[in-house]
Amino acid sequence: MIKCTNEADVVEAVRGAREPFEIVGAGTKRGFGRVPRGATLDLAGLSGIVSYEPDEMILTVRPGTKVPEIEAVLAEKNQCLGFDPPDWGPLFGAPANQGTIGGAIAANVAGSAAIRYGRARDHLLGFRAVNGLGEAYKGGGKVVKNVTGFDLSKLMCGSFGTLGPLTELTLRVFPEAPLSAVLAVTEVTAEAGLALLRRVRSSPLEATGLAYMPGEAVAIIRIDGAREPLAEKLVMLRDLLSGHEAYEVGGGDALFRELGGGAPFVDTALDVWRIAVPRAKAVELANEIAASLWYMDRAGGMIWAGTKDIDLHEPAAKHGGHAILLRARDGTRARIAPFAPEPPSRAALTRAVKAAFDPHCLFNPGRMWDGV
Amino acid sequence: MQLAPSDPDILSRRADIVARLRGLVPDGVVADEAGLAAFDGDALTAYRQAALVCVLPKTKEQVSAVLALASETGVPIVPRGAGTSLSGGALPRGDGILLSLTRMNRILDIDYENGWVIAEPGVTNLSITRAVEGRGFYYAPDPSSQIACTIGGNVAENSGGIHCLKYGLTTNNLLGVELALAGGALVRLSQLDGGLDLLGVVAGSEGLLGVVVEATLRILPKPPVTRTLLAAFRSVPAAGQCVAQIIAAGIVPAAMEFLDKRCIAAVEDYCAPGYPRDAEGVLIIDLDGIEADVRDAVARVSDIANAAGAHQLREATDERERARLWAGRKAAFPAMGRLAPDMLCMDGTIPRRALPEVLARMAAMSEAYGLGFCNVFHAGDGNLHPLIIFDVMKEGELARAEEFGAEILRLCVAVGGVLTGEHGVGVEKRDLMPTMFSEADLAQQQRLKCAFDGAGLFNPGKVFPTLSACVERGHMHVKSGRLPFPNLPRF
Repeated sequence: MIKCTNEADVVEAVRGAREPFEIVGAGTKRGFGRVPRGATLDLAGLSGIVSYEPDEMILTVRPGTKVPEIEAVLAEKNQCLGFDPPDWGPLFGAPANQGTIGGAIAANVAGSAAIRYGRARDHLLGFRAVNGLGEAYKGGGKVVKNVTGFDLSKLMCGSFGTLGPLTELTLRVFPEAPLSAVLAVTEVTAEAGLALLRRVRSSPLEATGLAYMPGEAVAIIRIDGAREPLAEKLVMLRDLLSGHEAYEVGGGDALFRELGGGAPFVDTALDVWRIAVPRAKAVELANEIAASLWYMDRAGGMIWAGTKDIDLHEPAAKHGGHAILLRARDGTRARIAPFAPEPPSRAALTRAVKAAFDPHCLFNPGRMWDGV
Repeated sequence: MQLAPSDPDILSRRADIVARLRGLVPDGVVADEAGLAAFDGDALTAYRQAALVCVLPKTKEQVSAVLALASETGVPIVPRGAGTSLSGGALPRGDGILLSLTRMNRILDIDYENGWVIAEPGVTNLSITRAVEGRGFYYAPDPSSQIACTIGGNVAENSGGIHCLKYGLTTNNLLGVELALAGGALVRLSQLDGGLDLLGVVAGSEGLLGVVVEATLRILPKPPVTRTLLAAFRSVPAAGQCVAQIIAAGIVPAAMEFLDKRCIAAVEDYCAPGYPRDAEGVLIIDLDGIEADVRDAVARVSDIANAAGAHQLREATDERERARLWAGRKAAFPAMGRLAPDMLCMDGTIPRRALPEVLARMAAMSEAYGLGFCNVFHAGDGNLHPLIIFDVMKEGELARAEEFGAEILRLCVAVGGVLTGEHGVGVEKRDLMPTMFSEADLAQQQRLKCAFDGAGLFNPGKVFPTLSACVERGHMHVKSGRLPFPNLPRF
């Protein structure tokens, strides 16, 4: 194991590599993707906030910084990470609130508010990293609006460390909602519930949470705003839900946090899938999968499904979606590809991009696919 | 900036290349001098160059076939939409095929339930909104050329617009593309994919990675209410303070534009939008959303502007006055254009706090270069558009204007900003890339270029000051079999 506390440590480690590395922050997502291999490159000590400028809405941090620590600092200025990073630690048997920002970026996470504010990839403005030749480099910039050169920041998000260790991240931050309210529509079928959620999504209410839970047969909707506007928006929302009773529920934010974090699956032994799908196809797909435990977020655009030893890549693709096996036992992960196999032309491109950053396949080898 | 000399070998094969293109796209090849003159540049008007030949495919299959021919014959490809690039992104090459996509101009699908429009690359930006506004939707990115510029060009340049502070750039509103790769293979990239975010890196790649033959765009419900405020300040720092406090208060305006006093004078002379001439700067602020949110935001922004020392603050009372307030901002180009025959529009981004310093230093540069200029500024996101006026017919003025512009951009980088916020690097800022990126930074970007386009045929001469052969960029070790870690398992 090599522990790094600064970028020079990472450069030295890569230049002196004798074997491939598994890049680790807090280690809360080691159960995500194919089973990791390689010597541990520990970035947990490469942590801390480098700069935070609330007036510019810009934050620069080191990758090992814990997400809750960042959120606490932002909250002092009534700001937040717009992509609403969920805590997946407990889903993988780790304690809560341990995940690092580097891990959140590498896995391109996002919570329920992604429907309004986008995913991690929409928030990373720039970064520093070390490539497979042991060279430190930067991509992007430290301002909100920048099109100078290739947007390498996007590639880093969701690369699961396969393109190399990140050593510094610059993120845009957002104002925190002054208040929010959650309305629940009960006793509604999936079909009717999702139609309602799509109707809200197509209105200018800018909902920041649109979920459906089949077990309770309930659709839940989160709206943000200052006190008076929020009250008016809730009236508009009730109009929009015409014909359906809606109740305001307390603790709605916590409920959306739980859904984003996969909390309903924590105490189960199920494999956990997340399926991104065109939202109007969500019900059809969910019916076909018939998972023993499932729910939908982002107005149907994200399905969480718990199954046992079933490969969901094909049904997802059939409905224009894309499934990722988020959590499963090692044996299952060896049998069922966590990331859907790519068509040949796309796979060739993926491998060429991997080689452009990591020609010797030093970083998280095989974490996504063979050779990547 | 020097244009690359044409490859004589390619020029000698011109007749054959033209004939083969006619075989692929019989009704869409332009090869005569007069015809090519119509395509000899884009909105970076200082540079003109006739293409070897221009081809206008109507289908993605034809695009594929053209790219296959380019690969086979080793001829560069310059993709082109409407030719509105301000950075020379679509500037032709004398030894390159100009691939114009404007005939691929169909909207293929409108899906309100899923919230998307699927369009061919030659569809104009504004026509996406036109196609969906009847149902209360719109397409958010709104570059100022939106009436003409195409979606394919928007993806290539990752275009912004005045509303991108709140609604993001093209990349944030692009759900997927079908991309024609070097050699002509087609690949689909989507935001739903779980693999590497290749879509994200294609957006803004300035035609260096592939050719977009189809794009899926997110449409949003149109905010029902927009209200517009004008706040005038007697000092630039006070205006800057106002912007910072609006942001700090958690208000995200749909647009927040700053015009400096030179720009105010120019547009008042041109179209009299009613900006106070005694101001050092004015802010024009759009707040949009539902009525209740907008009412709340207007009240808070007004309080902030007054506290920051605005000597004039007014809200447009009706749609006509709103249009008038914006007319001044939108007339900045023609208003400055009246003062001199030629104009350079620069496009750096700076941290907002640096605005007073940057404006002061630009005024000093203007004196030193003996060239007039003014500033419009997307104040919300720090994107600065200095307009430099000059006369290309006067000996040395183009070079002086370019050097003035370059010095501004170097200043943007020095204060923590970037070379371009939305116009792209193109040929215009190509030689400035090393001021922002180290050799290692640029080498990494070029390795990515090589992963998509090993032969370097897509838009060569753009973005990178020197594009090394791909074997020099890190693949060499692998190819020559001299692996530094021969015993590593490589799965």
